[in-house]
Amino acid sequence: MDNIALETIGLSKRFGGLIAVNAVDLSIREKSIFSVIGPNGAGKTTFYNCITGFYAPEAGEILFFNKSLVGLSPDRIAQMGIARTYQNIRLFANMTTLENILIGQHHLLKTSWVEAILQTPRMRREEADALNEAMRLLRFVGLSGMGDQVARNLPYGAQRRLEVARALALKPSMLLLDEPTAGMNPNETMEMMRFIQRLRDELEITILLIEHDMRVVMGISEQIAVLDYGVKIAEGTPREIQGNAQVIEAYLGRAATAAA
Amino acid sequence: MTRHIRNGINAGIIFGIVTIFLFMIGFTTTISDLLGQLLRNGSSIAVMGFTPGIFDLLVFLFFIGMWAGISGAKKTPDKIDTWGTVLLSSGIAGLLHGILVGGLALLVGSLLQAGVTMTVYFAQLLPDAIHLFLIGLNATSAGSFYVIFFLITGLIGGVVARTIRYGSWRQNLTAWSKNKWQAFTAWPQYQRIRHNKLNLFVVYGLLILIVFLLPQVLGQYWNYTVGTVGIYVLLGLGLNIVVGLAGMLDLGYVAFFAIGAYTVALLTAPAPHHLMWNFWVTVPIGILLAAFAGIVLGIPVLRLRGDYLAIVTLGFGQIIAVLLHSDELTAFTGGPRGVAAVGGPSLFGISLGTPEGFVYLILLAVILVIFVTIRLRNSRVGRAWEAIREDETVARAMGINTWSHKLLAFAIGASFAGLGGVIFASRNQFTGPEDYNLMVSFNVLASVIVGGMGSIPGVIGGAFTLKGLPEVLRELENYRVLAFGALLVVMMLIRPEGLLPTSRRKMEIKELHDPDGKEAGETPGGKS
Amino acid sequence: MQQKTALHVHKPVGTYRYVQIILGVFFSAYLLWRLYVVLIAHPAYGPDTWLRFTIDGVVLGSVYALIAIGYTLVYGILFMINFAHGDVMMLGAFGGYFVFEALGAYKVSSSLSFLNAYPVISVILAFLAGMAVSSTAGYFLEKIAYRPLRGAPRLVPLISAVGASIFLENAAQLLFSTQRWDYTNPAVLNRGAGWNIHVGQGTVVVTYTGVLTIVVSVLIMIGLYLLVKRTRLGRAMRAVAENKSTAALMGVDVDGIISRTFIISGVLAGAAGVMWGIHLGLVYYYVGFIPGIKAFTAAVLGGIGSIPGAMLGGLFLGVVESLGPAVLGISFQLKDVIAFSILVLVLVFRPTGILGEVLSEEKV
Repeated sequence: MDNIALETIGLSKRFGGLIAVNAVDLSIREKSIFSVIGPNGAGKTTFYNCITGFYAPEAGEILFFNKSLVGLSPDRIAQMGIARTYQNIRLFANMTTLENILIGQHHLLKTSWVEAILQTPRMRREEADALNEAMRLLRFVGLSGMGDQVARNLPYGAQRRLEVARALALKPSMLLLDEPTAGMNPNETMEMMRFIQRLRDELEITILLIEHDMRVVMGISEQIAVLDYGVKIAEGTPREIQGNAQVIEAYLGRAATAAA
Repeated sequence: MTRHIRNGINAGIIFGIVTIFLFMIGFTTTISDLLGQLLRNGSSIAVMGFTPGIFDLLVFLFFIGMWAGISGAKKTPDKIDTWGTVLLSSGIAGLLHGILVGGLALLVGSLLQAGVTMTVYFAQLLPDAIHLFLIGLNATSAGSFYVIFFLITGLIGGVVARTIRYGSWRQNLTAWSKNKWQAFTAWPQYQRIRHNKLNLFVVYGLLILIVFLLPQVLGQYWNYTVGTVGIYVLLGLGLNIVVGLAGMLDLGYVAFFAIGAYTVALLTAPAPHHLMWNFWVTVPIGILLAAFAGIVLGIPVLRLRGDYLAIVTLGFGQIIAVLLHSDELTAFTGGPRGVAAVGGPSLFGISLGTPEGFVYLILLAVILVIFVTIRLRNSRVGRAWEAIREDETVARAMGINTWSHKLLAFAIGASFAGLGGVIFASRNQFTGPEDYNLMVSFNVLASVIVGGMGSIPGVIGGAFTLKGLPEVLRELENYRVLAFGALLVVMMLIRPEGLLPTSRRKMEIKELHDPDGKEAGETPGGKS
Repeated sequence: MQQKTALHVHKPVGTYRYVQIILGVFFSAYLLWRLYVVLIAHPAYGPDTWLRFTIDGVVLGSVYALIAIGYTLVYGILFMINFAHGDVMMLGAFGGYFVFEALGAYKVSSSLSFLNAYPVISVILAFLAGMAVSSTAGYFLEKIAYRPLRGAPRLVPLISAVGASIFLENAAQLLFSTQRWDYTNPAVLNRGAGWNIHVGQGTVVVTYTGVLTIVVSVLIMIGLYLLVKRTRLGRAMRAVAENKSTAALMGVDVDGIISRTFIISGVLAGAAGVMWGIHLGLVYYYVGFIPGIKAFTAAVLGGIGSIPGAMLGGLFLGVVESLGPAVLGISFQLKDVIAFSILVLVLVFRPTGILGEVLSEEKV
């Protein structure tokens, strides 16, 4: 019942003398919403980059449905079903909304370049299906009618949603969201929270979330891990984390130093 | 106030240096010759009291001086500049411009009068050019003339700048043209023509017909020129896939061109191997060898960052050039002397080896290459290329195997160059190492960049302007490469997307059958 | 779950790695065999010739090293290859050339020109002029062609750099024509003159120009080392190289530092250009092109971004280029091919260079 979607064992990544991620053990249940929080520079994004294969960890193991991800290339990992979004939106800025989503579907399409030149019936069918799927995703994230706009010209909120749509196009079983509500007003934030829940409920995707906004984290996560200086200092349900002395110290201690 | 003075000083110095530079490279002389031919058919009748050459020179310098003034009277943001400040900055710009150029006139004039031959060091400073520059005066008066001349032209520039900037006619004109354009596009006939596929076919059909009849009308020379441009279009389209679509800077592109050319040359020529194969057999071999070379070079390099690719391909192009030039390989490639009597195409016993024949062949090749490019661009492969160009890291995170796609782009780009090389060598009936220097790579790169990266009309237009225009304006031949370099920088500064950028394909299917997307069946993704 | 404490050390392994190893073994074996052939089995040259090749290589290498440092400095800060760097060197070479010409024409007495009367001052003036020309060119290059493009997609400044390089080269061609100019050195620095050393049966000439080149190059490198390690400017440069935005927050004028980096790399290139002229004797409009690519190879070889790496890489490349044709038994015409092949080989086997580990995917 409670399958583990992603598990890290003793994951470590260092840059020169700095240990950005230090022996982190996590296990994330399938179809759960799991948040990683921590002060700035705690190693959250590095953690993401290790999972998605952009950094090779010095030590430790990453298991995705019991298959090791260590040493695989980012594109292999994405094809296995881990999609991600970025803290500072990274769309293909000069391509249209639909093209962005179609790129997400890239690995699901099988046309080779020879077929593309010959335009075989199979290729045409595949393209038509892909376009339909992209249209559905467009509607799912509420961007209908913006399909032919160049991504660069979309409003901020729409760009965020497009990034999620592009990630969903990979048909992932796990979605890594990096501060999805950054720069949003309270209304938009609420909407994004509902949207994330919908992703899990309707699409049954496991969600791993990095977030600064505590209302979001406490509001939708089922399990939370706290990183500080690359070390996991706490893990538990939102209620447990709120009462954890170490966590409060990590945040307040930092805030007190900053104020001084 | 200081701001206006500073603007003026900056513009004055920059334009002073530019004008001096133009004079030192002999451009002022060339341009006044050219203007003389264009404006007055080269007649030698004095104009407004000046000898014709001097008049032409002053016409050119007038525009430069005016430009200096315009550029000096830089606009203050969110504020309407008064006449005083505008004239102050343009005046300062003009004055400085004049002092610098006048100083130069004084210097070269005195040196000339002292009998120093400057051509020993500066090739363009011929006595004639200097006499022209001194507009028939002695050094001192020419110097003072330029100070006054550029001061006046600078002020005129200031007046022009302010009139253009704040005149009400400007808004009127934009509004008027916008209205007219809207009226035109809303015009029912236009709408009908535009949206009727049949009409489009007719238009394209006519175009193709004209293109196919053209070689019959053009003479030998023009057919040859058109053919050259066509080969550059082929090369440009190939590089367009590598640079424009996949975003990899390949500076050794000429190597693949050379591989195609040498393949056909060595296989069809009587010397050095005496194989004498049929031209048509060698075409696919040339293409495949070029593509193969692209893959071999690409495998190690394409894992690395783009800058490395640029320099390694540059090195590779240079290796090929050195090898072709060296005596070591004379037995195999003909060495520095090249390969002569390269075979030409023939069809059913009729030789196509005439300039017209080659124009048709090149046209066919161009159409084929455009077809392949369009098909690839609109497929998942093309989308992956563009994604790699836009953001390689994200493309990988989206599950795209960037390495294999880059390799494919590299190989296809190389194969287009190979095709171009095959036709090039066969048309010239000769191939030698001189044909494959780095300038070819830069020429092609410039035509891709100027036209607009990734855009097919852009590449064609770029090849026509950069390769065809110099054929028309022979006088400017010397400055062509210089202009390419400047053009690359300027394009990157002001319009990196090129003059004719790609228009994005419209794909969204409006009015879907079911407007409500929240039904269970409409949920995308999911695991089936 | 089972063995949490066991730390596995991961290295990227793939078929590509094996290809690399196999190629590497083959290549080394071939090299060893060639060395055996030319040194022991059929000695192609006597020890004097080998020594001469090595000395030539070191001299050439010290010029490459100076140019390579220019690439590395700029790369360390902007993460871009300054394609026009070789052409900046060419301008410096012309600067020195004109100083020599002017001083050669200026007579201090009826038969003696300034150049021959005061050779030390003349050489110093030539170096200063070369450095001044090159650093000015570097400064304006950055200001006009690179600065406005900061933050643009990576391809954009790269193309701009290529354009600037083409422009500079052709501007020089139009100004100075396609002729190859002879550098007229002061008489004491005659090319070919030098100390004779007896080795085996033959003699080896250690040329004055070669020694001058090495000495000046070493002095400049020591100066650069002190500048980077000991001065405020050096600290600021390192800070900007590490992280531009943080440096800016700390009050470092990032644009100013970048400008100064270009000026410094121009100074080095100018010195290299004058050395090139004094030692090798010919300058022409594309004189910087090939040394530019080779120096870039040297920079990559030493690990781009690393200054000591660029120095060693330069020396190594100079020596290899000079010994290579003899060792491999190929024509000297093909010595450029060796340098470029090294570039490709380094990128295949060790793109981080011999000393450096500077490149990382996200460090932009």
